[in-house]
Amino acid sequence: MTLRRLALVFTILSLLGFGGGNAIIPQMHADVVDHYHWITSAEFTRFFALGKLAPGPTTTMAALVGYAVAGLAGAVVATIAVFVPAAVLVYGAGHVWGRLRGNPWRERFARAIKPVVLGLLWAGVVTLARGATDAPITIGIAVVATIVMLRTDWNQAILVLAAGAFGAVVLR
Amino acid sequence: MDSPEPKRGSLLGLAISFGRVSATAFGGGQMPAIRREVVRRNGWLDDDSFLEVLALAQLLPGSNPSNVAVLVGSRVGGMAGAAVAFFATVLPGFAILMVLGAFALDSHLPWVGGALRGCAAMAVGLTLANTIELTAKRINVVDIAIVAAVAAFVLVLHASLALTLAIFIPVALVLTRPKSEAS
Repeated sequence: MTLRRLALVFTILSLLGFGGGNAIIPQMHADVVDHYHWITSAEFTRFFALGKLAPGPTTTMAALVGYAVAGLAGAVVATIAVFVPAAVLVYGAGHVWGRLRGNPWRERFARAIKPVVLGLLWAGVVTLARGATDAPITIGIAVVATIVMLRTDWNQAILVLAAGAFGAVVLR
Repeated sequence: MDSPEPKRGSLLGLAISFGRVSATAFGGGQMPAIRREVVRRNGWLDDDSFLEVLALAQLLPGSNPSNVAVLVGSRVGGMAGAAVAFFATVLPGFAILMVLGAFALDSHLPWVGGALRGCAAMAVGLTLANTIELTAKRINVVDIAIVAAVAAFVLVLHASLALTLAIFIPVALVLTRPKSEAS
């Protein structure tokens, strides 16, 4: 039953995931934290951070939600559900895409969806921050991270690791 | 898609190329790595075709790297190629994340909890910076109004993703329509 719910939640997220992985963050949080109470808000942001730390798409964090809910089987189900439906859709679209070349609606849709996705990304940032910036030190880390990222091209995974090392000493 | 003679590459080549990127591209930066494999190292697509594939991958639902893998794989080796490139993109990250997660989440050591809190705060900052950069590219009244309305709709009214897309994609289509058509 739980596996079926996991599959359903992540399949819907997969098919509505316009604009890459992060635009589904608010809805994923609403589903797995607020509605089903599978994990806490703090855990949600930690899973997201681990998703950034591991190579590959950040969307793979769905595996950790599945793992928390139903062990390894949950991890596999959530990962398949969050990736495969979109992949099948993309495979099909790849075959008709060429015929849409020069169709003005293609350009217009691409243009229109950008600010909508950006609004979802902002909602995602707030959602993640609610679960992570809970003390002066964590707020400080987030502020420093923002400034460093805006001013340098340092590798994100290395920054996350550095913050982890800092947290291991200071936040224990 | 529209190239008359797609280059045939071995399924093994797809598995190695996409698997290598997925297992080694830590902390974003996957797309430049994928382009290097697909365009430069293997010559499966030229730069124009790659940009075309990227545009479609970004337009459709799903994470961009896995979408690009499906599209490139299908051009190189049909349905089998798409499947191989897709799994090569998802599986290494999944395996590494499971090991990381099993260690970090089942641990009750205090320093692991502290490390996770530090990582999470950093991830918030990275995502905020990324979103600021994307927003700075779209400084015009219409776009900013749509961005603000969508964010408020989701955060204040707790609207679902489906409802948000159903309302705001048509609204954005009208508001961002080309000037020539509007006059």
